[in-house]
Amino acid sequence: MEALFFNVDSGFLEGIVRGYKAGLLTQNQYNNLTQCETIEDFRTQLSATDYGNFLSNEPPPISTSTIADKATQILVDQFNYLRSNAVEPLATFLDYITYAYMIDNVILLITGTLHERDTHELIERCHPLGVFDSMPALCVASNVEELYHTVLVETPLANFFRDSLSAAELDDLNIEIIRNTLYKAYFEDFHAFCQSIGGPTFDLMSRILAFEADRRSINITINSFGTELSKEQRARLFPTIGKLYPEGNNLLARADDVEQVKAACEGVADYRVFFDSSSSGPGGGSSRAPPNGSTAHLLGDLDDAIGVGAELEDRFFLHEVHLNKQVFLQQFQYAVFYSYLKLKEQEIRSLTWIAECIAQDARDRIHDFIPIF
Amino acid sequence: MGDEYPTLFRSEGMSLIQLIVPREVAHDTIAELGELGDVQFKDLNPDVNPFQRSFVGEIRRIDEMARRVRYFTAQIEKEKDLIPIRPLYDSVPLVTVGPRAAQTIDELDTKLIEHESRLVRMNENYQVLSDRMKELVEARHVLRETAVFFDRAAGAEREIRTSFDDSSAPLLQHDDREAQFSGNAQFDLEFVAGTIERSRLPTFERVLWRVLRGNLYMNHTDIQEPFIDPQTGAETRKNVFIIFAHGDTLLAKIQKVAESMGATVYPIDSNADKRADSLREVTSRLEDLQVVLFNTGNTRRMELVTVGESLASWQDVVQKEKAIYETLNLLNYDVRRKTLIAEGWCPTRDITAIQVALRHATDESGTSVSPILRELPTKKTPPTFHRTNKFTEGFQTIMDSYGIASYQEVNPGLFAVITFPFLFAVMFGDVGHGLILFTAAIFMILRERQLAKADLGEIFGTFFFGRYIILLMGAFSVYTGLIYNDIFSKSLHLFRSGWDFPVAHSNETVVAVSNGHTYLFGLDPAWREAENQIIFTNSYKMKMSIVLGVIHMTFALCLQVPNHIRFNRRSDIWTNFVPSMLFLQCIFGYLVLCILYKWTVNWENATTVPPSLLNMLISMFLSPGTIDPDSQLYPGQGTVQVILLLIAMGCVPVLLIAKPYLQYQGMKKTQSQGYIGLHGDDTVGPPTDDQLEGEEEANGRVITEEDEDHEHHDFGEVVIHQIIHTIEFCLGCISHTASYLRLWALSLAHAQLSEVLWDMTIANVLGMSGIVGIVALVVIGVMWFTLTVFILCIMEGLSAFLHALRLHWVEANSKHYEAGGYQFVPLSFARLNEEAA
Repeated sequence: MEALFFNVDSGFLEGIVRGYKAGLLTQNQYNNLTQCETIEDFRTQLSATDYGNFLSNEPPPISTSTIADKATQILVDQFNYLRSNAVEPLATFLDYITYAYMIDNVILLITGTLHERDTHELIERCHPLGVFDSMPALCVASNVEELYHTVLVETPLANFFRDSLSAAELDDLNIEIIRNTLYKAYFEDFHAFCQSIGGPTFDLMSRILAFEADRRSINITINSFGTELSKEQRARLFPTIGKLYPEGNNLLARADDVEQVKAACEGVADYRVFFDSSSSGPGGGSSRAPPNGSTAHLLGDLDDAIGVGAELEDRFFLHEVHLNKQVFLQQFQYAVFYSYLKLKEQEIRSLTWIAECIAQDARDRIHDFIPIF
Repeated sequence: MGDEYPTLFRSEGMSLIQLIVPREVAHDTIAELGELGDVQFKDLNPDVNPFQRSFVGEIRRIDEMARRVRYFTAQIEKEKDLIPIRPLYDSVPLVTVGPRAAQTIDELDTKLIEHESRLVRMNENYQVLSDRMKELVEARHVLRETAVFFDRAAGAEREIRTSFDDSSAPLLQHDDREAQFSGNAQFDLEFVAGTIERSRLPTFERVLWRVLRGNLYMNHTDIQEPFIDPQTGAETRKNVFIIFAHGDTLLAKIQKVAESMGATVYPIDSNADKRADSLREVTSRLEDLQVVLFNTGNTRRMELVTVGESLASWQDVVQKEKAIYETLNLLNYDVRRKTLIAEGWCPTRDITAIQVALRHATDESGTSVSPILRELPTKKTPPTFHRTNKFTEGFQTIMDSYGIASYQEVNPGLFAVITFPFLFAVMFGDVGHGLILFTAAIFMILRERQLAKADLGEIFGTFFFGRYIILLMGAFSVYTGLIYNDIFSKSLHLFRSGWDFPVAHSNETVVAVSNGHTYLFGLDPAWREAENQIIFTNSYKMKMSIVLGVIHMTFALCLQVPNHIRFNRRSDIWTNFVPSMLFLQCIFGYLVLCILYKWTVNWENATTVPPSLLNMLISMFLSPGTIDPDSQLYPGQGTVQVILLLIAMGCVPVLLIAKPYLQYQGMKKTQSQGYIGLHGDDTVGPPTDDQLEGEEEANGRVITEEDEDHEHHDFGEVVIHQIIHTIEFCLGCISHTASYLRLWALSLAHAQLSEVLWDMTIANVLGMSGIVGIVALVVIGVMWFTLTVFILCIMEGLSAFLHALRLHWVEANSKHYEAGGYQFVPLSFARLNEEAA
């Protein structure tokens, strides 16, 4: 039924987003990019793609971060175009996508303030999709309750925040807990929202969200080894919508080392591969430091278990790309919007990685990016 | 072939040429060819990445220069006062060819860098200064506005105090407070004051309200004038705020929130005298700064004016250089021999002109080695190039937007020059409206030069582009208007009418009497007043559209023949053209003949009533051979119709089977003789080329000559194609003939619309007399004329244009036009300028 009237409201935007998706770089273009000798070459090569002349007005030398910023700006412009043309319930759906960025921004700001970084610098580093009006005021908060009552109460995040309300002081551990509680609440709420839309949107989104939730659970578990996070606390942070829920989550909650995590994931066929051949991954076991800090933040801090984590991270990304690509096989659903955003984000990460490798002359690692098509 | 005088009938004969250019003259050669605009270069290194080509370094440098020039343009545009940019035709041309070319470019590059760095520095200074100025201005506003708050607050305090005095007995602390108020520091309230962007104010207020748990005492006022960012020119509006709070922690918090929200906080003293002092100081500093800022702005302006002097020529040079190097990148660069090899298409007739250009380029560059031009034999399909002038360009564009003609195919654009305005005029026939179109077109043509330079905007630009089409459409409309005898829905009495109306008494209907004359040209004006006018014009126009349509389609069908002959498909004449023609003529050609015959008969003297031709056509199919004697047109009609019908029906299987059968025969013949299709060498040239070819071979074959898709005919494909063609043609004949009835419909609608417009407006006021009558006539007359122009000429004109377009694209082109070619796009600087403009 939803197919009958889908195009009335969202046909145009779906067309647009599929067009955007057709502009994603292909394997061939990635090959060309990896052959570049300098960033200048890189720019010339990119100008032959959908990126066009997005760098042509930049005076040389171009830094990697400029490329990332400009590329992100393109993505943000596209998203804003979609958002401003969207009709309910797509508008809310798109809003939900931005909430994840809001959470990241909030966490970034309070962590930064905790470590007494300059507020303006922090605000510049925030993801433009997650910016909200009263965001800068976050830096005055010194404990969780204050944080909620001063700023977050009027943002859409307020709903997610209610569960983690406590007068606890803000410290690194607490922030991490807040982040994960927020994400848990966010995933569950998003899931519920998709359920209310129903149809293919829910089918596809539940698959993606389940994976995202499980990824988070696994990350939390691995990262919590050797920290003062108690197992009960840990269990409370796991989202309840994943494929691992409930028995996998229970196993994860009791896990003490990576082997047990692996055992917990045994139950889900898709996840088995993540741990299967941990020794011979694409990176050859070499730890891969992300080109810029923001990647790490998106995933939660992986610094603790970088050996396993970095490789796991790559596989997560691969699986994410795989899931998001599949979404485009179905029509009349909103998941394409989510997937396009994620794919484009992945593409920007790959571009930045390649550019960084060129800039640092690390040719041997240049192929470690994650291609989409 | 190449010696033929160029016509629009077929596209120009093209040659694939190869240029062998020494490295030293390469740049100048391409520049010269670009000026000539006659060669379309082929990409000889399609497998090479754009950044791995030979001239990437140069392109990058030019890109850098282009970026600088863009930067200057942006700066000049942003400047509020207009800075003159000297137009291109007025500036000294920069010579970028010849032996000094490299030097010129180097000089230009350094010049651009210098200008840029100077401009950037000045902008930075300007920015710093204006930032400081902005701060000072804001500080001044804050000082002024807070002074207002304080004054008001002081007044309020006094009131409060008096009210306290009135209402209650003096309290113990009263004296203390009295002392405090009368003291030097009037308030011991602490506060934060500053400015914030207006859009963020509500959020700011809300956040503060929550931070202070509802205990917010805040005042704010708008700053009237907007702040303008000198870099981007964006306007921001700001507000002054002052927040009162108590306690260091709170103040620090407020300060922090304010800063993080992008507000600027200014230290303001609560003491009025000190405030006045700082206000004075700020004002004096502001004045100093203004002087400095003015001077900086002036120098910057001067710099921009210098830049503006030569900006246009820089732009031109940069654009051309970029095109040259991009073309050079398409060429094959033999590093060992220091030569470049180019391949490209050019009109065969222009080879001599190109050779002259090459020699000229050699002379210019001052070297003795000249490029070598050689014609290559090829089997690839050359691009389609119709040499148009400003008159034919519009008509050709109409056909090109349907599809680019195949190489050397009969070009319908040539015939559209006449048929298009004519079919338009059939629908638009009105002397008056035609004259309006005609004069508008004449006006555009006379002011052609001025208008071509001006930027006309998209809509008027389109009309201007089609000015010659409009001219002919107007002229033809006058002609058809004369035939319909229509001028603004009235008729002309040019000659003596063939009918006399007897004088009518009271309201009776009179019948016109023929007076033996025949009206010389067009419709007799007597019909205008006749009651059965509509019935007459209806029948006349309907039949006329069928006649015109069948003629147009027959003509279009005939255009197949030159194509079949040129492309050596003579059998197609018998398998395709003749059956189609017979089919069309036996049914609709016959109908046309009947129409013409029916017109020639004087039915008043005939014994039978005039038969309905439509019924005749239908019964020709439904009950062949039987004719109702009452509706018989001529004796022997039944037999003739049966014969015609049999011929038409017989044509269908011929059309369906003949071509595939011939092909099948041919295929069997080659196979039975033992031949097998070979992927032979496509580029076997005349023997004179063999030597050169051999030489190239020795060098490892420089040119990439990829095989054109091999002509492989699948028999099944031919059959299916022919079936589709047959069905399409036979059904198309019927629907297309009916489609020409739009000529009738639109012409009738046009005539009726203009009549209605006349009746509703001018007809009402014509009879009035006196001053009122004159005024009404003028007012209504103007209204009538505007409506005529906008509704009848522009709107109706566009609709008639659209239908004429359709009749050409669908009804005529489908009969013969293959449109499988691709456009010839030569490297041309003139075109480059057009695109940039």
